[in-house]
Amino acid sequence: MHRIPRLSAALPLPLQLTWLIPIYGFSGMVLSLPWATGWIKRNGPRPAAYLNLLVTLLAVLHGSVVIRMVSELGPQHLEFSWFQATDLNLRIGFDLSLTNLAALELVTTMSLVCQLFALGYLDKEWSLARFYALVGFFEGAMSGVVLSSNLFVSYFLLEMLTLSTYLLVGFWYAQPLVVTAARDAFLTKRVGDVLLLMGVVGLSAKAGSLEFTDLYSWAAHARESGAIGPLGACLLGLGLIAGPMGKCAQFPMHLWLDEAMEGPNPASILRNSVVVTCGAIVLLKLMPVLVLSPLAIQVLLAVGSISAIGGALVALAQVDLKRAFSYSTTSYLGLVFIAIALQKPGIALLFLFAHGLARALQFMSVGSIIATTTCQDLTELGGLGSRMPATALAFLVGSAGLVGLLPLGCFWCYGLIVHTLLPASPGFVAVFLITNLLTAANVVRVFRSVFLGPVMPKTRRAPEVIWLMALPMVSLAVIVLLLPWIMQRIDPVPGIASFPLPVGLGVAASGLAGVLVGCLLPQDQFWSRSSQVSLRVLQDLLAYDFYTPVIYRATIVRLVAGLARATRWFDLTVVKGLVDGIGRLSLVTAEGLKLSVSGQLQTYVLTLVLAIVLLLGVLQWARIGI
Amino acid sequence: MPIIPAELVHANVSLSIDEVHQRLLSGRTLLDHTADHLLEVVGVLESYGEVLDAYSRNLIYQAEHQFLNPLPIFKYLDGDLSPAKIWRHLNHDRINFEYAEYCMKGMLWHGTGGLDAYLDSDFFAVQCGSVIAAKSRRDPLLSLLKLVAPGFLPEQIRTAATTHALGQFWRVMSDLFLDLAAAEREATVRSIADVVDFIKQGLVAAAANPITYAVRIGDRQHWILPPEAGLTFLVDVAVPYVEAVFLRGMPFLGTVSFNAQAQQISPDQAQFAYGALYADPLPSMGAGIPPSLLMQDMYRHLPKALHDWYLQRGRGAGDVRVKICRSFQKSMFCVTNAAINGTMPHPLDSDDPAHQAANAAYARAWATRLSAGRTDCLAAG
Amino acid sequence: MLLSSLLLVPFLGTLVVLLWPGGPSPQRLRLISIAILALQLLLSLLALLRFDGSQSSLQLVELHRWLPGIGLDYSLGVDGLSMPLVLINAALTLVSAVITRDIDKRPRIYFAMLLMISGAVNGAFLAQNLLLFFLFYELELIPLWLLISVWGGANRAYAATKFLIFTAISGMLILGAFLGLALLTGSVDFSLTPVLSERLSMGGQLLLLGALLIGFGIKIPLVPLHNWLPDAHTQASTPVSVLLAGVLLKLGTYGLLRFGLGLFPEAWARLAPGLAIWAAISVLYGSLAAIAQTDMKRMVAYSSVGHMGYVLLAAAANTPVSLLGAVFQMVSHGLISALLFLLVGIVYRKTGTRDLDVLRGLLNPEKGLPFTGSLMIVGVMASAGLPGMAGFISEFLVFRGSINVFPLATLLSMVGSGLTAVYFLLLVNRAFFGRLAITPPCGDAQIDSRLDVALAPVAPRETLPAIALVTGVVGLGLLPFGLSRISDATTTAMSLVFPGVS
Repeated sequence: MHRIPRLSAALPLPLQLTWLIPIYGFSGMVLSLPWATGWIKRNGPRPAAYLNLLVTLLAVLHGSVVIRMVSELGPQHLEFSWFQATDLNLRIGFDLSLTNLAALELVTTMSLVCQLFALGYLDKEWSLARFYALVGFFEGAMSGVVLSSNLFVSYFLLEMLTLSTYLLVGFWYAQPLVVTAARDAFLTKRVGDVLLLMGVVGLSAKAGSLEFTDLYSWAAHARESGAIGPLGACLLGLGLIAGPMGKCAQFPMHLWLDEAMEGPNPASILRNSVVVTCGAIVLLKLMPVLVLSPLAIQVLLAVGSISAIGGALVALAQVDLKRAFSYSTTSYLGLVFIAIALQKPGIALLFLFAHGLARALQFMSVGSIIATTTCQDLTELGGLGSRMPATALAFLVGSAGLVGLLPLGCFWCYGLIVHTLLPASPGFVAVFLITNLLTAANVVRVFRSVFLGPVMPKTRRAPEVIWLMALPMVSLAVIVLLLPWIMQRIDPVPGIASFPLPVGLGVAASGLAGVLVGCLLPQDQFWSRSSQVSLRVLQDLLAYDFYTPVIYRATIVRLVAGLARATRWFDLTVVKGLVDGIGRLSLVTAEGLKLSVSGQLQTYVLTLVLAIVLLLGVLQWARIGI
Repeated sequence: MPIIPAELVHANVSLSIDEVHQRLLSGRTLLDHTADHLLEVVGVLESYGEVLDAYSRNLIYQAEHQFLNPLPIFKYLDGDLSPAKIWRHLNHDRINFEYAEYCMKGMLWHGTGGLDAYLDSDFFAVQCGSVIAAKSRRDPLLSLLKLVAPGFLPEQIRTAATTHALGQFWRVMSDLFLDLAAAEREATVRSIADVVDFIKQGLVAAAANPITYAVRIGDRQHWILPPEAGLTFLVDVAVPYVEAVFLRGMPFLGTVSFNAQAQQISPDQAQFAYGALYADPLPSMGAGIPPSLLMQDMYRHLPKALHDWYLQRGRGAGDVRVKICRSFQKSMFCVTNAAINGTMPHPLDSDDPAHQAANAAYARAWATRLSAGRTDCLAAG
Repeated sequence: MLLSSLLLVPFLGTLVVLLWPGGPSPQRLRLISIAILALQLLLSLLALLRFDGSQSSLQLVELHRWLPGIGLDYSLGVDGLSMPLVLINAALTLVSAVITRDIDKRPRIYFAMLLMISGAVNGAFLAQNLLLFFLFYELELIPLWLLISVWGGANRAYAATKFLIFTAISGMLILGAFLGLALLTGSVDFSLTPVLSERLSMGGQLLLLGALLIGFGIKIPLVPLHNWLPDAHTQASTPVSVLLAGVLLKLGTYGLLRFGLGLFPEAWARLAPGLAIWAAISVLYGSLAAIAQTDMKRMVAYSSVGHMGYVLLAAAANTPVSLLGAVFQMVSHGLISALLFLLVGIVYRKTGTRDLDVLRGLLNPEKGLPFTGSLMIVGVMASAGLPGMAGFISEFLVFRGSINVFPLATLLSMVGSGLTAVYFLLLVNRAFFGRLAITPPCGDAQIDSRLDVALAPVAPRETLPAIALVTGVVGLGLLPFGLSRISDATTTAMSLVFPGVS
């Protein structure tokens, strides 16, 4: 009799079937197809939305059952063979640890909340089925990424995320700016992905297995054993961080997040909260490999710092409601990068949780504002506060959850990281506090111009959004308010409050300073530009994102386009010219040949015979020569 | 340069300002009469009438029975909670009431005309206050909201008032369009001119209808749009509706970028030109095009003759909803034509030069706006 | 007999089509051809069933002496290298016949040529004798040339002539190399026995291998021998392009692996570093040239140049994984390029143009080609190597197998894979996003927004072959172990017999 392995026999069924959780999302996509492709023509597309909500709910429930079981039985590992040939063994592996599962719950819950929100936000959308199909695909890929115990699977799914980001940004494909935005979103991420693929392929060839645990033990000995040289390690490290950099919209690959704001708001909610989180989680899992390359760590720190402060500054100068916060996402992920690079994975994870939920809430309130006012220009908004209480509440709670001032999610993260970094790297503490200050200033600035101030023409009639949007918004606000308690449960040791009071006061002081700055900042009015030249230059520099799109166009785009044009010229002039020239020389009757079919055949046979004779002659000669 | 087969691409000629002006003054219809046009306009208006009937009933139901309901989960079911109806609703085998709400939101947001002015009046504030007081007596959530967000409930009541007013407006229009179809079947309407005239008569007849709205709270009736406010059908609801839905409209997410830096949307709502008379029919049913919902609703209520007529053209059933959109645009030009004729300051056949000048100025103003619209649809086959 | 039936069915089918009594309508001829090709596909699947993937040796062998005087034997056999290609040939020729519509000019000859090509390609893949291979290799040439020059586009004469001259030279070089091998080793045995070349000096080996490289390099094609391909594709009709890209180019890579690597392992190892660089140049050149194209079909054609470069890279690296990757890449490129050409063909048939400066908004749900557009997005993503589809696993295997041997060339080829995304994104975003139009923008936005476009609808039967190909592409991408089970043993054995340079 075959002996059943003890471990799998001991695992309860819901645990063994955890691999289904990503499949739920993908199945949502498949279930939507009859409506998305227009096979069902007489009835509307809403059943696709309901089916997606249902499978996502299933994913949430299954996930919570798994969490309960794992917290009893301890972490588990699931593995399936996928592709095996010669010395290559590609496996699908899932790590069912509490942190992974918490991230999974974040992904599926956010997906559920967003899908509910989208039912309201996109209530007039006839392509609803396509949207839900894409969100289902998105959710499936993200669930897989956070559970994955294997770099190959992570890469596989990250690329699927790139594809679904492209399709979601391109959702309103007929809108002129979407055409370029979707393309740029895909290509920017793709650059990161190709570099990551180089790293993955290299690692696979060097280390053999792509399981993270195997990679860790390989990396621990790689330097001593000489498995990889300093240059190789360097390139490997840079390749591996490029993927997460692209996914997390870090400088200089942050461009896509701005452009992705052309997509529907519910997708923006997911992108700004959980997609970036997925990228950071992959980086987190790669970290023990990255220690091979000190340069990669330095680059991570530099990129993180520039993104944190640069992103926060650019956010301050945006007049577009969505962009004001998407740059802030870049900024916060910069902070997470710093935390990861400084080997503080626990705090980085907490940061990701706190940020993801609060940012999603903030973006939901942004969606409500856009849906109500048909406008996302800060200069045209104002005075919404008393008429949209749910939206204002969501905005306030979301923003408070992000800023280190009130004792909500991010405050505790700030406290922890400042406390741990203070002795060794005070410079990075400054980065954190400055970012906190700038973020606080930004949210206060936006709050003032949206919710306070005089009523503007486009905000004159602003009823609160319908319940399908308000309900998920208020529920998420409650979750964000409860977040410190949840965080304490996820990471009970040493506890989220394990920093001294002065540190907390310092963080709160930076937040408070930011609030003050935000209160004092002059408000944008119809594209006001400062009359002072130096200030105006700075203002434009930030408003146009350090002219990054221009720089891209002047460098990479120009290079590729130039090379492409040069190749085309070479192909037409040199290669084709040469071929045509030889053709004209050798076939005197070329013109006649073009016309007569039999002439061509004859020439063909003639040349064939001639060439064979010639070749044989050459061979004969060669033989003698040899 | 590739050779594009000429039959694949087609552009119709738009009407010039002078042409529109001249037609309006001479009483000639904007849409020329042909048998096809008559079939299209009457047929589409008939299906539109059916759809408006459902829209109107639902808007009135919502305003009266879902008033200030925080979770109006069943608001589209018109109070019928039978399993069959719920299943049809879940299967999306239903009228897309979302579009009716979209039009209501457009009206509310653009805020022009008598109804809007009334909603800002002190009189309304008083009515509002008593309604809120009555309602929050029995609802702790509302009394809390009244305290923390004093603007919230009045704004909701304004929305409900606009919803009800639009419901009343569409009630009249639905009956009018269905009567038109009946009249055409009885052969009393035989040309496009008859159609325009029929609609004009209908509008004139309903012009002075009072627009009122009251809600029941407990066992007391509370006026929100009381008869004393003197709101009437034509000037206080119909004209703002035409302004908000036919002319200005709202930018579609599927064709216009909301990005503030791109500055594609005018900061001045009066400059908007996204309405039914301006919209491009070609992207219908695409992503981010709300009128697709209306096209779908009309598609499900097409009279047989028009349905067959569509099946013989273009891609048959494949592009039927774009064809409906074209016909709809034609018929909306007819309705606008009727509305302009009906609101001319003086009779067109007046001999008084002052009257003629006033008419000419009125027609000129309309011609300027309409000629920027999709008058090319009028020439489409 | 099974393998012979794979030759017999299409060749007899050629005769059947040519000699069918009465004047059969083009529609009937098409159905007859489809039936014959379906039978061929069934027989190929039968061969697959009989095939044992765990063995690396030749299977289903058939050997008959034919002309022993000149060393020509009728010797057929199949292994893990040729089995997938035989299947691809059967499947894609069937697709070609299915998507052939409105042939008004000489339908008899057209379908006869299609069948003949399929038979000749089968013969080339199955032949285990050098001269027999050459015979079939040449036999496929004339029908294809006819297909381009008779049923092609406006500039077909030029393209067909160019194709003929290039492939004739290719054939001569290959024949020369085969004859040379016999002459230099002094044997008249043309059976495929790799030990022969050991008798040769390195100089002789290099010379013969060089002839083969150029000969097959023309067919693949590799830069700078590719010039015939874009012209041939742009002038060929859609079914012919499907066949050309999906099947015929594989003759080149197959020949390279079977004869270049198989017959001259020592010389191959000597040349391998150069070949890897050549592959990288081919990949980058093809990709960059594709970016600059505005004709959709030319763009896809240049992408073929780039993607076939991966096979050369894999062959140069000559590791078990890379050779398996080469087989995967041949199969997936066959499926994906056939899919892309097919979809471009639909766009061309409906709009009358393939110009990316002109086409816009084809995703329009009511008046555009939305389903074709959706399939196109799947196709270009597969070509760009997105996971879950055939392109990814193929490229992954190629890169994974090659990176330890030729790191630089592999990394450069990966850049080419990134560039694929660039040009195909340009294609999709230009032609399928935006407002529907098939005329160049006139500069006045209002006039543009009032143009109506009346394209004929795409019937479901037109996209059915594309759906089948998409299924294949996704199936191979998600469940690649099926193919690796067929080829793994053979490719491993190939690379172990001739271990790559390290």
